Amino acid sequence: MLIKVASAASRGLETIGVDVEVNVAGRGLPGFNIVGLADKAVDESRERVKTAILSSKIEFPQKKITVNLAPADVPKEGSVYDLPIAVGILSTLTNCKAPEKSLFFGELSLDGSLRHTKGALLMALFAKEAGFESIFLPKDSANEAAVIKGIKVYPVENLSQLLNHFAEKECISPAVYKKAKEEAFDNLIEFDMKDVLGQEQAKRTMEIAAAGGHNILMVGSPGTGKTMLARALPGILPPLNEKESLEVTKIHSSAGTIPPGGSLITIRQFRSPHHTTSPVGLIGGGTKPHPGEISLAHRGVLFLDEFNEFPRSVLEALRQPLEDGYVTISRSKERTMYPARFMLVASANPCPCGYLNHPKKVCVCSPRQIKKYQKRISGPLLDRIDLHVDVPSVDVAELSNNQKASEFLEPSSTIRKRVVLARKKQAERFKTEAIHVNAEMKNNHIKKYCKLSKKVEQILQQAGVKFQLSARSYLKMIKVARTIADLDNSPEIGISHMAEALQYRPKRYEEV
Amino acid sequence: MEFRIWPRRCSTDRKDMKKFNLQIGKLGEEIAKDYLKKRGYEILAQNFKTKYAEIDLVARQKNELVFVEVRTKRGLDFGSPEDSLNKKKLRKLWFNARGYINWAKWRGPYRIDAVCIVLKPNNTLDRFNHYKNI
Repeated sequence: MLIKVASAASRGLETIGVDVEVNVAGRGLPGFNIVGLADKAVDESRERVKTAILSSKIEFPQKKITVNLAPADVPKEGSVYDLPIAVGILSTLTNCKAPEKSLFFGELSLDGSLRHTKGALLMALFAKEAGFESIFLPKDSANEAAVIKGIKVYPVENLSQLLNHFAEKECISPAVYKKAKEEAFDNLIEFDMKDVLGQEQAKRTMEIAAAGGHNILMVGSPGTGKTMLARALPGILPPLNEKESLEVTKIHSSAGTIPPGGSLITIRQFRSPHHTTSPVGLIGGGTKPHPGEISLAHRGVLFLDEFNEFPRSVLEALRQPLEDGYVTISRSKERTMYPARFMLVASANPCPCGYLNHPKKVCVCSPRQIKKYQKRISGPLLDRIDLHVDVPSVDVAELSNNQKASEFLEPSSTIRKRVVLARKKQAERFKTEAIHVNAEMKNNHIKKYCKLSKKVEQILQQAGVKFQLSARSYLKMIKVARTIADLDNSPEIGISHMAEALQYRPKRYEEV
Repeated sequence: MEFRIWPRRCSTDRKDMKKFNLQIGKLGEEIAKDYLKKRGYEILAQNFKTKYAEIDLVARQKNELVFVEVRTKRGLDFGSPEDSLNKKKLRKLWFNARGYINWAKWRGPYRIDAVCIVLKPNNTLDRFNHYKNI
């Protein structure tokens, strides 16, 4: 008796339909075999399915069971086929048939219940595109899939519940997407900008970076608040819009970083990988390409603390994704493209001892050491960072004064309001384009949207000659000036905007 | 079918246990032999030793040579007899069959069958399955 159950396989962010064909033969030596390029996790599902069915108080058939996962030439991985296989076997045993046009996926536990399985959102998206009417999946993953409208998402707790549903004894009600509460946003933020004392310049730069999605490099002595500033950044970023949310959730769904019961990701991700991260960990890869930190930080922040300590190979790998906004990972077996439009926030010390240009402490590094330390970050990479800012050390005496004044400092929520306004202006501007923020502008966009008056152009040209700006940084200055003008609510780029932008030009530390 | 009841094991000594399991196996083979004979098979050899291992039964049905592996279990507490016939065991059976064919200079079709027997605690027959051409 042959039964076909629909399921799907994920390859990167793509999903391919998989037919799970279950044949329970009356003749032949009893056994349970799975064919169709199944990996170890799929092969082991035999034991899970068998025990789960027995735990649901149903006798497992002593017959020859063959399971085929078609198409046979696509590698199948993971535990998503437990449920379709179990459903196939159960529908040969009992008379209740699985409804047509429905997709099944999920991992079984030995006691017959279903466990949270990664990729729920991708499956639901696929189900909708492929014309399925309903999707059956573990209860813990249902919230994630319920985001997709126009398809019934059935949260299944265990096998016996599913059988009752098929027999129409006790129906499962489809899951409905619940929007997360707005007030939760502020609770998720670790640091508030008002907790950072002093550093007005750096805070301003953070605001510009957040408004325009620019990359930023902070250089300063130890203990000046670089890390704190970076950690406060998510608090001033606007929440993700619907389209961005879906993009980000897709990546996290395929990586399996969405917790059980989790749903659409609405706040921008903040990823801070340690400096011992490998290139593959950062960019993504493996024999079956997995998303790396840069893709997990898509539409969010990638914070690289101790920028100089990262191995050169890791940093240079960042160059292309920084420019393109996506990364293509090619391996012999598979090729995958992951989006990686992130804000790079880097922090570094100016020299090995950390006290170069410190007003009070003396730097103990030799010129050669300093040069070697600074050379660890290549010119091309620095050139790709829009905003360069110094984070000077804070005077302790001033600090105690500021402590009292901290009540008067701006909280993140106020800054965020300004950032949101600036982003709104950008969204309006790029309505017809495929980009969202100023930092993503290409040359043709700059020509179209950033018209400079003669005076402003003159200043820029003078600066270009004096500071020996590369063609790329020249254009970056215009983008930054555009963002500053947006924050200022000015339709045109003024002289003051350009002058401020020029402060954040790329510079090697020796110049300081 | 009634069979002689073997003394229940009274010691957990390994040697006794081994002997006991051999007796159970032997009993199963006898049951299988009787069954095949009744079905018109001609028994050619029992416990035929090849250079790898033993073949439980070698029989002939018309002009097809049949190698039979008999699996006997008393109760299902330690898995069913079918469970113990995995790929590795099957490979061994094929090797053995080749050994016999070479020895007997057999030119003709042959197949491997399995007979799975489950006994009740009192050593009477509970379940008997004959799987052809596994």
